[in-house]
Amino acid sequence: MAETEKTTAAAPEAAPVKKAPKPASPGTQALRQAVSDVYAAAWEAKKRGEPVGWSSSKFPCEIAEALGLAVVYPENQAAGIAAQHDGERLCQAAEDLGFDNDICGYARISLAYSSGVETTNESRRMPMPDFVLCCNNICNCMTKWYENIARMHNIPLVMIDIPYNNQVQVDDTYVAYIRGQFDAAIEKMEKIAGRKFDEKKFDEACAAANRTAKAWLKVCDYLQYKPAPMSGFDLFNHMADVVTARGKEQTAQAFELLATELEEHVKNGTTTAPFPEKYRVMFEGIPCWPDLRALFKPLKAHGVNVTAVVYAPAFGFVYNDMDSMIRAYCKAPNSVCIEQGVEWREDICRANKVDGILVHYNRSCKPWSGYMAEMQRRFNRDLGVPTAGFDGDQADPRNFNEAQYETRVQGLVEAMEQNIKVKEGKAQ
Amino acid sequence: MRIYTLGIDIGSTASKCVILADGKEMVSKSLIPVGAGTSGPQRAINQVLEDCGLKKEDMSYILATGYGRNSMLELADQQMSELSCHAKGAYFLFPNVHTVIDIGGQDVKILQIDNGVMTNFVMNDKCAAGTGRFLDVMARVLEVKVEDLGALGEQSTKDVSISSTCTVFAESEVISQLAQNANKCDIINGIHRSVASRVSGLAHRVGVRDLVVMTGGVAQNKGVVKALEEELGHIIHISPLTQYNGALGAALFAFQKWENEQQEG
Amino acid sequence: MSIDALFEEFKTVSEHPRRQLLAYKEQGKKIIGVLPYYAPEELVYAAGMVPMGIWGSNQKTISLAKEYCATFYCTIAQLALEMLLDGTMDDLDGLITPTICDTLRPMSQNYRVAMEGKLKCIFLAHPQNRRPAYGIQFTMDQYNYIKRELEEIAGRSVTDEDLRNAIKVYNRSRAARRNFAVLANEHPDVVTPTRRSAVFRSSWYMLKDEHAEKLEKLNAQLEALPKCSWKGKKVVVSGIIYDNPKLLQIFEENKIAIAADDVAQESRPCLVDASEKGDPMMALAEQFANQDYDVLLYDEASAENRRGEFVVNLVKNSGAQGLVLFMQQFCDPEEMEYPSLKKALNDAGILHIKLGVDQQMRDFGQASTAIQAFADVL
Repeated sequence: MAETEKTTAAAPEAAPVKKAPKPASPGTQALRQAVSDVYAAAWEAKKRGEPVGWSSSKFPCEIAEALGLAVVYPENQAAGIAAQHDGERLCQAAEDLGFDNDICGYARISLAYSSGVETTNESRRMPMPDFVLCCNNICNCMTKWYENIARMHNIPLVMIDIPYNNQVQVDDTYVAYIRGQFDAAIEKMEKIAGRKFDEKKFDEACAAANRTAKAWLKVCDYLQYKPAPMSGFDLFNHMADVVTARGKEQTAQAFELLATELEEHVKNGTTTAPFPEKYRVMFEGIPCWPDLRALFKPLKAHGVNVTAVVYAPAFGFVYNDMDSMIRAYCKAPNSVCIEQGVEWREDICRANKVDGILVHYNRSCKPWSGYMAEMQRRFNRDLGVPTAGFDGDQADPRNFNEAQYETRVQGLVEAMEQNIKVKEGKAQ
Repeated sequence: MRIYTLGIDIGSTASKCVILADGKEMVSKSLIPVGAGTSGPQRAINQVLEDCGLKKEDMSYILATGYGRNSMLELADQQMSELSCHAKGAYFLFPNVHTVIDIGGQDVKILQIDNGVMTNFVMNDKCAAGTGRFLDVMARVLEVKVEDLGALGEQSTKDVSISSTCTVFAESEVISQLAQNANKCDIINGIHRSVASRVSGLAHRVGVRDLVVMTGGVAQNKGVVKALEEELGHIIHISPLTQYNGALGAALFAFQKWENEQQEG
Repeated sequence: MSIDALFEEFKTVSEHPRRQLLAYKEQGKKIIGVLPYYAPEELVYAAGMVPMGIWGSNQKTISLAKEYCATFYCTIAQLALEMLLDGTMDDLDGLITPTICDTLRPMSQNYRVAMEGKLKCIFLAHPQNRRPAYGIQFTMDQYNYIKRELEEIAGRSVTDEDLRNAIKVYNRSRAARRNFAVLANEHPDVVTPTRRSAVFRSSWYMLKDEHAEKLEKLNAQLEALPKCSWKGKKVVVSGIIYDNPKLLQIFEENKIAIAADDVAQESRPCLVDASEKGDPMMALAEQFANQDYDVLLYDEASAENRRGEFVVNLVKNSGAQGLVLFMQQFCDPEEMEYPSLKKALNDAGILHIKLGVDQQMRDFGQASTAIQAFADVL
């Protein structure tokens, strides 16, 4: 007995002290708060007996703001659930309902949740929807996804259809069609909200969204510095705000705060990146949320900093009237022609001086991976940097293999090293 | 005084070593037909040293590659991916190479080389179809030796298509063909064409440009090589040192890194 | 001409589309390839050219297309690219690329890029909010753009008269196909699944008036046949495509007749006619707006299970005992509508099986077992 007591008494001393994680910067905390507040607001609205909506990430949030409607975002929820390793269980639940595992992981998670399967990720719990807002500039899977939710709950679906665009500029016929849908959507949502569309609130939301977009772009722009004042990988977390809360002034302020922090780092020559930057890459595609740690590990080990993501230009849209707003909503990564897609990425690769490109072939996203191979060739040709692809999935961990990913990253690093040597004129 | 570097390539099914002198001349090589996780790597290292009468201490730099490269961390000065090493080795053997096709024990790699630098690559490491493993499975079903597949396939006189993209399904197809008394040589030819089809599909992802070089164990199978040439419409160049390509690349990189160290030192 | 001879003609065309294409070329006609879905073939016809449907191939493997596509896209889209790259489509004078699903959307870019300088690709974006006035307008805008592109290829202009005539031709063809489906159900002893498929499949490779004329003759003869007392089973087939000869044979071996179909390559495009009065472009836009009950089309009343009920009624009205769903691999619209379809079928007590198909499949052992077992259960 005494022996055991001695051992137990000794144990706390013997155990290694775990390094406390560095506290998140005020800017990062503010951004996290903005997202939490969106979920909290939805729960409060539900308690008050008000309708709560589930919305596509790129449905015009300004309209819901103008009508005082609380809205949450299944895509962000699915990403959060996947990141907290509850995604596989929900995907499986959806498959048990009859949804094929070929279907996008976000959709499967969301449909399972919609059918009543609760998640272990408490921060991502949300009330069941009273209406759904669907905008398919993200993808066409959205349409089927939201139709299914509407069917499960017997609720109204507001659909804003953004047709795929074959050219860089947005045709007036597109604007006219979408304008008609905007007006119809407003009418439908007025009935749901039980109140009239408030022009003033709409203008405020537009102003906030614009301000957020500008601040977001400003934050992303700090990655042009060599070395970058932050780990670009962090942008994936901040993206949640652009997705779920861009119509809120709180979000704009949070990004602006983060920008001032980054400004300080640039001035002082410091960085929040937890490793010295040796190589700079663009990470193409949605990250593999269940495997963020595995994604980051070899990048850190080889000193590879992500300094470019297509989400920067894709969500950094500003507008000053209804016409330009509609044109902005026509431009999502999966709704633009290949020339626009390549232009976005090559511009940011050049501006942010990348040495190579890591391409995520996302099993869950057919539209995103659809012209990826051709884009990769154009990157090789136009930017003169090596590229490497790897197989993964934004939400279903069964489609990602850590060993495979590490090999690809190592291959890319070696190729970048060789390429840099050649560019610097060193002999082979 | 000659500078010796040792390249070690530990694959899934074989361990290979190459010793280079002054980054130019191959003085010794070894191959043990068992790979990562076995006694193979150590035996391969012992043999390559024995064969040229050198000791581990004579090596100025040791670099490991291949699937089992991380098990060499104590011995090797550094490890690199087999992608870069295969590119390096192929470029040494064929200075005009642009596309490298490496069919290994359990994966297939296509490398794009521009001016000796690897600029893009694709890999199939998700499934066995098209890899050495696929041929192993088929050889077993047909009750022939893997090394005899090439010669047997040459004797084919009739087209037998093995179309399944999955190894498990392909195995069923072969069994079904055997049950219908299809000729073994014809089936083998069909298997070769199946591998060629899988590999060429992967090759198109990167783009195929002359000079096309094949490396890895399966390059010794004449049937697969011929089928692949037909499928791609390009002549495929193979060095007699094909199996040592990765180890050669590793030894070359070892020399390059040794040189860098001297310059920096 | 006898029934057998007519069926033989449809069979020949359906098995040798290239011969048909070359015959038209010899007549000096231009050929426009048309990818699925709901592309307005009437416009091609009105321009004096021949529209040819592209539905993949049962004889090819994806190889060259891998330069552009990862594995997880349906074979219809990938094999279309394969055939563009391997020379099969070299005789086309143009290609229409609709973008109604998440595969066809990025593929439209791959087709265009791969065919740069070689073949004119004409882009089409259908509106999903197709019913309201602004949706109809958008369809008209898209169709007018296509018309202009086709005029350039044809080297002539397309008048309203040309369009109205084309609409009449297509209405006639659709009616003939609808009628055929009904007659095939009444005479399954004569109209085997293989023959039935050939009639529908060949319509994609022939000028629609030529096809309609032959089909009307066949229909008349079928109608004159004595009543058939079918001893076998009857099913309704649903899915994108199921025209593999081996698959069709499995039905025949098990004495299963196709009572009706909800198939993209067969009856789905025949359901709705275009108005023959008024502005013809408006008529075409309204025809698309009136399309319904399809996995690919947005349903404004999505809270209900309208498509499920539609398919259930199709089964009930056709006298079929069950449904076989051919799930095209990687087809997410079809996959996402399956639970709702399953529910409707289960609620109505209709037995069904779901089989995964892929145009690269050559061995149908599993499908054969499943269908045979299903026949026993019905």
